[in-house]
Order: sequence, then C-alpha cells, then structure tokens
Amino acid sequence: MTSPAEDVDVVATRPQPRRGVSFRDAGPPIALVVIFVVFAALSPQFRGVANIQNIFDTAAVLAVVTCGITFVLMMGSIDLSAAGVMGASALAVALLVENNRNGNDFGLLGIAIAILLGAALGAVSGLALVLLKVPSFMTTLGVSAVGLGIATLMFNGVQPNISDAMLESWATERLLGFSWLAWIAVVCIAVGWLIQRYTRLGRYAFAIGGAEEVLALSGVKVAPYKVAVFTLAGAFYGLGGVMVTSQLGAGLVQAGDGYDFSAITAAVVGGTLLTGGRGGVLHSAVGVLLIMVLTNGLVQVGVSPYWQGGVQGLIVVAAVAAAVLPQRRRNQVVK
Amino acid sequence: MTRISRPVAALFSLSLAAVALAGCSEGSSTASGDAGSCDPADITLVGQVRNESNPYEAAWLDGGDAFAESVDLEQERLTYDGDSTKQQEQIRQLLAGDTECLVMNVLPNGDADTTPIVKGADQAGAYLVTQWNKPADLDPGEYDRWVSHLTYNGEESGQQIGDALAEAMGGEGGIIALQGVLDTAAAKDRFAGLEASLAKNSGMTLLDDQTANFSRAEALEVTKTLLAKHGEKVKGIWAANDDMALGALEALKQAGRDGDVAVVGIDAVPDALTAIQDGSMTATVSSDGPWQGGIGLAIGYCAAIGEIDVDKLPEDNRAFFAEQFLITDDNVADFATPATDPADFECDNVFNRVAGPLS
Repeated sequence: MTSPAEDVDVVATRPQPRRGVSFRDAGPPIALVVIFVVFAALSPQFRGVANIQNIFDTAAVLAVVTCGITFVLMMGSIDLSAAGVMGASALAVALLVENNRNGNDFGLLGIAIAILLGAALGAVSGLALVLLKVPSFMTTLGVSAVGLGIATLMFNGVQPNISDAMLESWATERLLGFSWLAWIAVVCIAVGWLIQRYTRLGRYAFAIGGAEEVLALSGVKVAPYKVAVFTLAGAFYGLGGVMVTSQLGAGLVQAGDGYDFSAITAAVVGGTLLTGGRGGVLHSAVGVLLIMVLTNGLVQVGVSPYWQGGVQGLIVVAAVAAAVLPQRRRNQVVK
Repeated sequence: MTRISRPVAALFSLSLAAVALAGCSEGSSTASGDAGSCDPADITLVGQVRNESNPYEAAWLDGGDAFAESVDLEQERLTYDGDSTKQQEQIRQLLAGDTECLVMNVLPNGDADTTPIVKGADQAGAYLVTQWNKPADLDPGEYDRWVSHLTYNGEESGQQIGDALAEAMGGEGGIIALQGVLDTAAAKDRFAGLEASLAKNSGMTLLDDQTANFSRAEALEVTKTLLAKHGEKVKGIWAANDDMALGALEALKQAGRDGDVAVVGIDAVPDALTAIQDGSMTATVSSDGPWQGGIGLAIGYCAAIGEIDVDKLPEDNRAFFAEQFLITDDNVADFATPATDPADFECDNVFNRVAGPLS
C-alpha cells in the first residue's frame, strides 16, 4: 500500500504551491484507510489474510491498465482504447503460447509479441491524434473497435484455451503470499513511477497536460512525446490483456470489458485530474486499491447485489469529492 | 424546362405522384396478398445475432449456414455488437431492399428492440422469426409475416441445474449463486428456478448470491471473494450461465479447491462441455445454438414457399418455449460436437421441439 509519505516525496520535486503539500495529496490515501478500517470492523472475513491476498490478486490487472491510462490522463488526453487493445492482446497471446487451437508454443516470446501488439495499437491512437488531429476521445474509441475487430478475427468461432504452464502459473503460483500477477503489477507501478519521475517522457507528459502551449513555445516538439505516451499506455494494456488470459485460462475477446472506464475511475479517484497536469502512477495505485477494497468489502459485509452498484457509485463520488476538495478550492473551476 | 407552363407542370407532377402511389399500393398488396408464393430459389436468408466473438452465437450462425446449404441458398450473416441502434439500422437497410422473399432469423438485443423490428418486417412483407427477447404483450398472432417467436423457459433450466447440483452434493451443503445481469428476464427466471430447486432440496443452503453480469472475468473475482468469505462451507456453485461457471472454475483452481466443489451453468458452450467431460463441471443446459440458427430460417422459409400457412398455425406454434436439454457426464458425448440434423428443418418437423406456449 502506498503511504502518504511517498506521495509527498513525488510532489516535492514539482514547483511548490503555497498550500501544504502533504495535505493536498493526502485525500485518497486517507479515504482508503477509512474505508478499509470500516469494512474490517464490520466483517471478520474481510480482514482475514486470505481476503487481503485476494484483494491484491484481483487488483493486479486493473493496476496495470490504470498505470497506462494515467500517463494519457496526465497529458490531458483521454484513452478509451483499453477494452479493444486488451481483447486483441489476449487473443494474440492465447494463440501464441501453448494452446488448444494450434501448435504454437512461443512462451515468453509470445507474451512479448502480444504486448508489442498492444503498443502498436497505442501508437496508432497517438499517430491519429497528432497527424490527423482527431481528438483522443475519438481516435481511441476507434482503435478500441479496431482491437476488438482484430480479436474477433483471431477468435474465429473457437475459444483458444491456454495450456502454457508458465502463463497459467502467473495466476496460481504465489510468492510471499501474493500471486505472480500481483507482483507483476507492483513492478509495473514501480517502472511507471520511474518513467514518470526520471525520464523526459514522464516529465513532458506532465508538462503537456499542464501547459502544452508553453512547452511548444519553448521549442519542444510535443508530437513525438504524445505518440510515445499512447504507445506506452498501449503496452500496459497489452500486458493487462495477457494477465487476464492467465487468470481465465483462455483468450477472450471480452478480456478488457469495462476496464477502460474502471481504470479512468480508479485514476480519478486516486487524484489524477482529467484535465491533465496532475496526479501520477502512485496516486492511481491508491485509487485502484480504493476501488478494489470497496468492491470486495461490499460483498464481504453482505450488501445485496441489487444495492451494490448504487452504493458503490455513491461512495466513489463521495470519495472523489472529499479528495479533490482542496484542489477545487484552489483552481476555482470544475469542468 | 423553364418554358413549361404552370398547368402542364402541375399535371406532370400529379401524374408522377399517381405513378408513385400506384407503385406503393401495388407493393403493399403483394405483401399481404401473396403470402407463401415464393420460388425457393428467390428466397434471401438472413441471420442476425449480437456478435461472432462468443461460441454460442457463432455456432448459431453456423447452424443457419447449414440450413441454407441444405436448400441451396446462402445465409447472410449479420452481427450488431450488442448495439440496439446498429441492429435497427441493419434491419432498416435490409427492409429498404427487395423484401418480397426475405426471411429473417433475428436475435433482438433486448425486449424493447423487438417491436420496431416486427412492425418494419410486417410492413415490408418480410418473413420474420425472433428468438429470446420480446415484450410480453407483443403477440405474433396479430401479425401476418411475424411467423414465430421462440424462447426458453429460464425457470426450468435454473431448476434443472439446481437439482443436478443438489444430486452431485448428496442433497446437502452450502452453495453460492452467481446471477446474471440483474435487470434481464433470463437472470430473474433462472434465479427463480434455483429458488424453486432449493425449496425442494431442503438440505441445501444458499450462502450468498451475487451478480457477475454473465461475465467470466467478473465471476472469477466474485467467486474468489466469496470463497474468502465462506471458505470450506462452499460445496457447490450455481451460475446463471456457463461463462460465469468457467470463471468460477478458474477461481477454484487458483484457490486450490478444484475438484471438491461442484459447479453448474447454463448454455452448453464448448468449454463447459469439455469441463463436464473431464469432470471439473457437473451440469449445464443446452438450448442448442446451431438448431436455433437453422430453425428460425427454416420456419420462415417454409412459410415463404407456402408449406406453412401462417394464418392456420396454432397459437403455441407462433410463440413458444422450445425444448432444452440438461447435459451431465451421462450424455455430454452426444453434445460434444455441435451439429444440426437436416431432418429437424423439414417443414413437417419445424415445430417438433415446442415444449409449451409462452405463459
């Protein structure tokens, strides 16, 4: 779990606002702790070790996808391509590793190709955005449809089930109590954070979201960085698709269903703004945990399924409202 | 042109309008008048489902192809990605073309989507068979060209797999239920079936019911959470469709519980049949997708060539529950390879699987 202290560390390198830095980003982690404590008090099963492991295991895929989408949101763009990209990479990896449809057995290479396919689709989104000047909302929606189309072609009426021992073990084997998928997500968050903090790509993504004109006027060619950010995001979705395939033991066209909006929700709940220029990978990780704790906790305390959707929505809105209260006061604007 | 006098122009346009109107009335008179007079070779067959990316609907369209081939025609395969607007658009385009001998076998996206499809087809004189979804008060008996609507009794299938689950568990133990999309009739009926089965098998306890929205991935998550919540008490999992049952199987595998928890589903997707064959799943129910794809076209075809007189069909052939099959390891081999039997599609046999009128 991310402690507020680490967040302070991240933002400390950015220009200091007048207000206290720690207070500004503390909203989501506090909300996470509060919600966790409430559920733990209500349900003994919730605070059990098995369930804590379960929360981390199920959060893994959403964490990786959210990692990717965070970079796009930081730029002030939006990305709705996750569902399609994940579907395409899920089918690709299922057909490339050992499976029941063909004789392929490429193992890690197959996984790499699936992730590259995701990156390629991301690059298409980025190129359409900078070359054709189509808003990211539309390009990524289109790329999502393209991804689903590719996936459907590969699906070809028969579901590929994987029998690759390594990929299957990602979901079942555990290290220090957590599944490999959870560890992969941790590595992704770490890599994402390093990119965001130490590379030009990450810093420019922030700057593009904050003030693109200023950046362009100071002589930076913005377009290549935009394409690179979408490509990076695509690679994360590709990995997400591979991870879903590992979990389900089969390549599904619907592998990424719903992940586009859950990832955006998680990022925003964590404190990444849709207008860009604020937030980051660690914020989003907190957001992912918040959503997962909420989904899990509502089932654990026995809220009726007919009420769950509504209750979850209310709590999310309340959490976001509490989290962005200090920011809203400063910005004086809500779009 | 500018020198044509006003009266001439008026006359000209009037006569044009008259021709157009005559065309119209002629069109509509063939639509209602010459029912069942199509030459088999002139018939166009169209099968429309949500998408080809799930095995059930892909098998449905394959069944349609098999029927089309048996009468030397081709089926036009249409998919609308579960998008109601897109479905209506496709139907409008079809009906704007030559509709005289058009036969459509349609899976409406939702109940509300059926009404415009039915009205459009009836007006254009196309033969229509719909499946699964229709509003309760919309009756094929009131239309000339909407030959039949067929669906399946969800309460019956929910109960069948509930009973099979009870049998596999020796009549007692705790189960969890994975419901479908809560506001669909299929989810409601199937769950009502489970409740009926639970009332009958008093040793069974429903520990928890949650929705996983018919999705494999969601079922995986929900099942993991419920396993963490109820632990060893869970001896059986009832899922409202096979996709969720398969997701639950993965969750059991990841929790190291596969083998000691019985799992049942509905739909008979290929993976579920494999799972029943290898013993990891207990039962499923088949509506026979390939048959559905063929039978809708066959009923429409027989009406179009005059072998079936739509007006004289009994009520339970216009709107009916079709027969469904419980699949366990006893009979799974018979269903392992989806295939259609051409005899089912002969005009005398198309109503052989009527299980009862819609209640």
